[in-house]
Amino acid sequence: MNLEATDRTPAISLTQDPLKLSISGESFPEDVSAFYGDIISAINQLASTAKGKLEVEMAMVYINSSSIKAMYRIFEGLDAYRQAGNEVQVTWKAEADDDIMQELGEDFKDRFQALSFSVEQHG
Amino acid sequence: MAEDVFDLYDREKLLLAEGQAILETGDHAQIQGFAERLFDRFSKVVRENEDLTRHSDRQEQRMVKLNRNLKTQTLELEQQRSRLEGLSKQLAKYLPPQIHDAMFAGKYDTQITTQRKKLTVFFSDIKDFTRTAESLQPESLTEYLNEYFSEMTQIALSYGATIDKYIGDAVMLFFGDPESKGVKEDARACVEMALEMQERMLVLQHRWRERGFEHPFVIRIGINTGFCNVGNFGSDQRLSYTIIGGEVNVAQRLEANSDPGGILISHETYALVDDLVDVEERQSVSLKGIDRNIHTYAIRGRKAESDKPLRLKHPQGVHIDLSPQYLNHDDRRLIAAQLKTLAEQLENLDDRDSVA
Repeated sequence: MNLEATDRTPAISLTQDPLKLSISGESFPEDVSAFYGDIISAINQLASTAKGKLEVEMAMVYINSSSIKAMYRIFEGLDAYRQAGNEVQVTWKAEADDDIMQELGEDFKDRFQALSFSVEQHG
Repeated sequence: MAEDVFDLYDREKLLLAEGQAILETGDHAQIQGFAERLFDRFSKVVRENEDLTRHSDRQEQRMVKLNRNLKTQTLELEQQRSRLEGLSKQLAKYLPPQIHDAMFAGKYDTQITTQRKKLTVFFSDIKDFTRTAESLQPESLTEYLNEYFSEMTQIALSYGATIDKYIGDAVMLFFGDPESKGVKEDARACVEMALEMQERMLVLQHRWRERGFEHPFVIRIGINTGFCNVGNFGSDQRLSYTIIGGEVNVAQRLEANSDPGGILISHETYALVDDLVDVEERQSVSLKGIDRNIHTYAIRGRKAESDKPLRLKHPQGVHIDLSPQYLNHDDRRLIAAQLKTLAEQLENLDDRDSVA
């Protein structure tokens, strides 16, 4: 799966080899359910379609409240993959001067404590 | 089809539907399991809601901060714009309007560059200014001078002149740079302007006399057309947009030789405006650095409509100039008949004999 970024939606890619999920950019789609539906389904099916370490990298610039709800679904799917006996390594990247994105990363880290989760600053 | 569409709240909606069914059927055996699932989902929803609200508050806080910054910046920009506007208005009084406009439109090049261009140069000054000034109270002198310069400047600008500078009581301006309508049109605009200035001076003199100014200002005007160096002269630190060259000096000399209340023009200018004005040839002048005698003409006034020459010009070498005022009735009839014959012959010529 590979989606290019637009001015309202982030770039999303999910590769099998290496097993990696990347989401980056801004997120305020007109229809959040429609935009995130496919990736959430793909993640929910990971346990039956893949095996091994999953690397996750998220670098969001702006994210609206509805998209956060979608992120929850993604993290729940990742946690389900972990529960199936796989390693999941999440790296949440936020720009150094963007405390809102840093704090959001910390919130997710706090909610999904079983995941290996690091919040990093860049730029 | 609706079932294929992903819904972020699908699990919550499923639970609501399940609860509604239990309530409707009264199937109490299902309540225990439902309550556990409801509790689990509700706990997660509360957590999500906490995070979402916190995130939303942070975004709002940032927006309020940004909005405040924007208001401050807008205010600062507005103050800056207002300062610049004031500065621009002040500067406009010191710069030729064409240069000022180009500068504020970001199109003006402040490099030290000059070019050679054919311009029509104008000089005027007030006759016996020093003596007149001494006879006036300084306040009155300032009042009359300001009135004089204001009126002349207004006329000059209305003709598109580039005001070079005011030198004491003298005015130096030119036509042909930075904007030009062509050498001929520039010269004609300059002469028309000079005529209007002298006409306006008569009105001003009458007005001044009524206010007690016994010997009001009378101006002399000199106009010359020729190649000058025009552009930015000076250094990187201080530039002056002006013109220099022998032809500028000629214009100044013409002004000095002009009758009070009159306009003296050079032959180069006269050749471009001969159909516009009646002139009287005056004594030639010579000038150091100019290797020719400068023929001069004093303008007597605008040419009457009937005195304007009749012209026929064609690039293939046809050039007819007729000055009706020098032709008597019989001559006019005779020339008209000859031209008619020529026109008929031209119309009847066989096109096959024409060039391709």
